[in-house]
Amino acid sequence: MRAAVLLFVIAACGASDQPPEFTDTGGTLAIEGCGYSITTRLGAEPPRVASDLAGSDPTPRLVHLGLVGDPRTSIVAQWRTVDEVTRSSEIRYAVGEGLSASELDQTATGIEFGYQSTGADIFRMHQAHLCNLTAGTTYSYMVGSPGHFSPVYTFHTAPDVVAHPDAEIVLGFVGDSRGGFDVWEQLVTQLVQRAPDVMLFSGDAVTIGITQPEWDEFLGRGEALFTSVPVVLTNGNHENNAVNYYAQFAMPGDQENFGFDYGFAHLTVANDTPEDPAALTGANADALRADFEASKAARWKLLMHHQPMWSAGTRHGSNLTLRDSWGPIVDAYHLDLVLNGHEHHYEVSKPLSNGAVQTATDNATVYVVAGGAGADLYDNGVGFWTQYSEKTHSAATIRVRRDSLVLESFHPDGTPIATGFSKTKL
Amino acid sequence: MTRAAIALIALVAVAGLARADDADRAFRDAAARATAGDPGAVDAFEALGAARPVTAWTDDAWSEAARLAERAGQLDRARRDLEQVIALGTDPQLVRRARGALARLAANTGAGAWDAVAAEHERLVAQLAAGDPEPVLEQLEALVRANPRYPRANLVRLAIASGWERDDNRGRALAWYEEAAALEPGRHAWLEWLRALVRAGQLARAEHEIARLEHAPETDRASLAEVRRALDRAVLRAWIRRGLWGVLAVLAVLAAFVLRRDAGSWRSAARRLARPPLEVLFLVPIAAVLVAVAHTGNPLVAAAVRTIAIAGVLVAWISGAMLDAVAAPRARRVLLQAGLAVIAVVAATYLAVDHDRMIELVLETWHEGPATR
Repeated sequence: MRAAVLLFVIAACGASDQPPEFTDTGGTLAIEGCGYSITTRLGAEPPRVASDLAGSDPTPRLVHLGLVGDPRTSIVAQWRTVDEVTRSSEIRYAVGEGLSASELDQTATGIEFGYQSTGADIFRMHQAHLCNLTAGTTYSYMVGSPGHFSPVYTFHTAPDVVAHPDAEIVLGFVGDSRGGFDVWEQLVTQLVQRAPDVMLFSGDAVTIGITQPEWDEFLGRGEALFTSVPVVLTNGNHENNAVNYYAQFAMPGDQENFGFDYGFAHLTVANDTPEDPAALTGANADALRADFEASKAARWKLLMHHQPMWSAGTRHGSNLTLRDSWGPIVDAYHLDLVLNGHEHHYEVSKPLSNGAVQTATDNATVYVVAGGAGADLYDNGVGFWTQYSEKTHSAATIRVRRDSLVLESFHPDGTPIATGFSKTKL
Repeated sequence: MTRAAIALIALVAVAGLARADDADRAFRDAAARATAGDPGAVDAFEALGAARPVTAWTDDAWSEAARLAERAGQLDRARRDLEQVIALGTDPQLVRRARGALARLAANTGAGAWDAVAAEHERLVAQLAAGDPEPVLEQLEALVRANPRYPRANLVRLAIASGWERDDNRGRALAWYEEAAALEPGRHAWLEWLRALVRAGQLARAEHEIARLEHAPETDRASLAEVRRALDRAVLRAWIRRGLWGVLAVLAVLAAFVLRRDAGSWRSAARRLARPPLEVLFLVPIAAVLVAVAHTGNPLVAAAVRTIAIAGVLVAWISGAMLDAVAAPRARRVLLQAGLAVIAVVAATYLAVDHDRMIELVLETWHEGPATR
């Protein structure tokens, strides 16, 4: 009898919710109710619906928001836990601003997956995907697991511009924080005060993409911003397509080349540092063209990628391969604004089309380099295309309304940079 | 409901739509004026904000008016317009932004007590990048001296410091960095001072300052670790630079001594040096082509290629003159001299690449692969 009891206990232990061993194959999971899937890459586990397993310290940390689906009706909350083991993952939320934890009356289960880059450490991401939300609405939320939730934060869904033609959206924009996180923190404070709807980051958040502590510093110092504003990034040469980058930031499509509407703006994001360099002038250029074609009716068209096609910076200068390959596509679809980093300075171009300066902004594109989120500055320069350049750390906001687009830039101390860009379409 | 009541409701609805259309048009016109830089745009937005009845565009008009007023340095007017957004706002994001802008203005101006100083501060900073920065920096210096209790006084000090540094006045820049750092030990201004010390090559001073505050509770450790890495790199490179300059000096003395010995006198050595050896005649056109090609691309690379080309030609010239001074040089002598020439060129190449931090670009290329251009 004792042997039978022992066998039963052993069998019961064997059937318990032991987590599967780490596998770095990546995988895909359809997100219920959202109509899209999440795919992880080599170096990460396949994503799974969260289980009840709690580790020694399930306290959530490094909470940040992302976008995968329609920003009018969906959002993604992402976080890790102190123990990196907890697999329990939940979001509680409700319509309204500044609600208390007890007022968050709706719940959704999250998904989770581990990833590994250098060393033996496994980092575990949690994501909670909320869909079927109401456009132009403020929500309060908290993430974590029973007994271990984050503070209550708020987020806002994108406006429905058909119902609200007066809607204004503000895009925060910056890049290249690597190695200068005190400056990055200053810019975050300035950006929080400007309450952007979406934060655009043009790459090189960290010096080495596979180094997790740098990412933790970037996210930790950006917490005041990222807990209430979804962040959309593009891969820089320092992220270098690291698994850490793709694991930590949920974004539409393949996370490299995609586009989405937000208010009256359509933003296209492109990877100009693909793993296969041939993709730059091949698949990625095709993806760019396809997204521009699909969005050609958009009122305002913006493109973000890392390396500038037009820059008078003395370190890297203009990327002529990109200019030759992507420039004609940008010109053909009359983009309004192209946003870059890579050069650690601030530069706004004159309106350009077919490589020539235009007198008017109609059907011409303005290129902005704002690679000054903290990295050591490079000397700025002046090219025939340069409207303004300054060797400075900076960030910018882009205010988009139906009839106007205004780019305003500022130093880390909040003082405005004299020259921005504005355009109206009547 | 009577027919009259229905007609009245319809009339009110139509009138409301007409008012919304009018407001929409007025907003669009004001926005176009703002884009054109018309200072009257702020009045137009305020007029639309004040018009009654309230429409969907009312809070937007006040919001735009506030933004333009702040941009023009009219901070009190901006504050009043922002309060209108908060009072009348129907878009929660617009209201949130108005609250944020009010909080920012309050922090920058001490709730309005420093409006004039803040406006002057921002006006001068905006002028810094245009034209001669020196008079603007001096005005900023006067501003901070006259208003040391201005909430952003330390940020003004940092702006002055970086302005002087960009203007190549390192001494004045470091003095301002130090003054700002003293008020923020362990934090941003102090870190900026350390970075400036590293850039200026004052490595011992930076080392001393780091040791002084490394373990202080207020110190921003993650950022300090970055500065520490930059300092360690700078120290290592300074040692390498000094070593290589030493090698070049020894080789130069050795070359002079050997040339004098082989030529028989200093006069004869000088005569041999005045005539370009055959290898220089081959090398110069190649170097010229390399320099010309380099100048079509990255300016940092171009400067390094120019320096390396000049150093290569000089080494070839001296080495050729030395060999010409010997009637029948032995193979061992030729090999030894070629080896020393290679060492000299390698040393000059490193020094050229290290200049202007181009070495960072080389290392980035090493780590990340060549950038497409």
